[in-house]
Amino acid sequence: MPSKNVRTAGGVMAMLGVVGVLVLHWMVFFWTPTEANQGIIQRIFYIHMPSAVVAFLAFGIVAICSALYLWLGDDHLDQAAVAAAEGGIVFTTIVLLTGPLWGRIAWGTYWTWEPRLTLTLLLWFIYLGYFLVRASTENPDRGKRFAAVVGIVGALDIPLIHLSVRWFRSLHPGPVVIKPEGPTLAPQMMTTIMVGLVSLLLLFAGIFLIRYTIEVAKQTLDVRDQQARV
Amino acid sequence: MTYLGQVYAIVWKDLLLELRTRERIAAMGAFAVLAGVLFNYSIDATIVRPQDIAAGLIWMTLVFGGLLGIGRTFYLEAQDGAFQGILTSPAPKDAIFLGKTAANFVLLYVVALLVVAVFTLFFGLHLGTSPALLALVLALGALGFVALGTLFSAVSSGTHMGETLLPILVFPLLVPMVIYGVSATSRLLVGRPVAEVAGNLRMLAAFAVLAVFAGAGLFRYVVEE
Amino acid sequence: MPSRPPPRVDLDLPVEASTVPALVTARRVEPAVLSARALTRRYGAVVAVDGIDLDLAAGDFLTIFGPNGAGKTSLLSLLGGRLKPSGGDVHVGGQRLDFGETSWRGRIGVLSHQSFLYGHLTVAENLRFFGRLFGLEDLDERVPERLEQVGLANRGDFLARQLSHGMRQRAALARALLHDPELVLLDEPYTGLDPHAAAVLRGVLSSLKDGARTVVMVTHNLTQGLELANRIAIQVRGRFTWTGERDDVDADAFEHFYHEVVESGRA
Repeated sequence: MPSKNVRTAGGVMAMLGVVGVLVLHWMVFFWTPTEANQGIIQRIFYIHMPSAVVAFLAFGIVAICSALYLWLGDDHLDQAAVAAAEGGIVFTTIVLLTGPLWGRIAWGTYWTWEPRLTLTLLLWFIYLGYFLVRASTENPDRGKRFAAVVGIVGALDIPLIHLSVRWFRSLHPGPVVIKPEGPTLAPQMMTTIMVGLVSLLLLFAGIFLIRYTIEVAKQTLDVRDQQARV
Repeated sequence: MTYLGQVYAIVWKDLLLELRTRERIAAMGAFAVLAGVLFNYSIDATIVRPQDIAAGLIWMTLVFGGLLGIGRTFYLEAQDGAFQGILTSPAPKDAIFLGKTAANFVLLYVVALLVVAVFTLFFGLHLGTSPALLALVLALGALGFVALGTLFSAVSSGTHMGETLLPILVFPLLVPMVIYGVSATSRLLVGRPVAEVAGNLRMLAAFAVLAVFAGAGLFRYVVEE
Repeated sequence: MPSRPPPRVDLDLPVEASTVPALVTARRVEPAVLSARALTRRYGAVVAVDGIDLDLAAGDFLTIFGPNGAGKTSLLSLLGGRLKPSGGDVHVGGQRLDFGETSWRGRIGVLSHQSFLYGHLTVAENLRFFGRLFGLEDLDERVPERLEQVGLANRGDFLARQLSHGMRQRAALARALLHDPELVLLDEPYTGLDPHAAAVLRGVLSSLKDGARTVVMVTHNLTQGLELANRIAIQVRGRFTWTGERDDVDADAFEHFYHEVVESGRA
């Protein structure tokens, strides 16, 4: 069982993350300069981009933990993978919500098949597959193995998907995506982005640790519950 | 060599079973033709020329119809527990995977040729200057598709949801295959030079190799009880 | 891991008091053909096989009795290498069942109540297929020979689905024995067989008692289980609640004895 320290550390990180997000919002609404071309709507970028970083980072954790889980068979690795996956899909959803909102206002349409957003959409479905297989087996250990396979194959394919989607885009250009941060990156914008990244990473890390301890406790209790019944 | 002998035994067994039962080939073949019919009625030829989108239609038919057949890969194995007999034999799990994938590939490739033939007939396609290259594009795409499909067919067979889970698991992963496959096919159908297709072929090959290796490596964890 | 309570000795049994119910069989013959230590299997949180020890020598025929849910099939699957142990290990012919490699699988033959045969292939085709998986070269001689041994000499070209249940079981046995395994595992082989088919099967199984092969059979049927065995075990809730020699057991009183053991094992 992970010590209480892990849980506490998770709580502290999450709190720091929340504080960071509050600071971020203040910066986004009151401090950062407005981008010249896109106007106010560009500010959504400061949530959108860090969320995307976290979403993919989380999946990287899922993939690595999954591979190690299959290799070493340690349940803790599966528990970590699930925790990362849950955090990951939340941030992926945030990306998919903020992206089209931004697109609608900035370029008139919700969905433009922008390569990175498309990749994120596919990532969301890979996460979905991860949870579906994990939950729909009779033998729970088998479900964990299945999910690990989904995580690993997904991670292997994502670079290829990224390449292919970007290549496709180069053939069929859509609305021109102006550099999100504008032609020049004002120092304050850079700071805001960094604050955004750090806060969301902290938030994810905190959620991850807490969720991990919950998953460990859950699986331990399942075992004890069954043993008590015998 | 025993390893190849084991792979070949599985390929032979699967194809022989398919020959005797004709279940999957019938379903996939019928799907191919009927899809063509439905496409004909779903395209307004006064607005869109079917030849312009034929490549896409071919590949989508292949994906949907192919998944029908691949989803049943482990169905016959489950009857009378025959797959347990295979798993408790000395055949390595990756050999079993390769055998299953190879058999599925033969099946799917036959269907692919059927789809191309049917769509050529229905939509008046011209197979361009190098049908051999078209055959290669189809083969590489089919290989990657089949490898992923076989792996995840084993996964979905082990879940409550069964085959209905297969599209959710496989479709996101197929995006590269569809992009490069359709692009190469559409270029070949209009007679573009080989050079324009070479890049796509490389990517399709990379996809196929990755899929086969990943499947072979991970299959043992999927079939483990 | 919490320690297990010591085995219960004071059972009121119609058996010689010198027979000590032991979790480790008293007779240990080196080298054991089949050897299991602290064999455990969990499904998620459920413990199906709970730390079983076992030693069998060449020529032993062990029958395992037990109620439904005792974990008998799981145990057999562990011994046959179909399942990975959650704890402990299995050795066959001195070789550890290591899932990283597969050479030991040639030593084991499995007969389940499922036939492991493809209905749409002939019996001979089925045998040839599995023969190739086992890397056997001389299938042209071996397959007819095996069919002869199980009394299916002229049924080789029948589709498996065309066979009666009893014949299918014998075909399945031919498959299990095709590669001459030193360890044969039988999981409820008599299930669904009418008396005649069961008698035929028993005849074939008795030919397995050739002194060289080791057999483990799991069955519900007390009479059939006692017929061929020289070692007996009763499994309840994942553990061997009682083990002993066939000679130590009175066949007529066995049913009563069995129920007592099962009841006490459940307590």
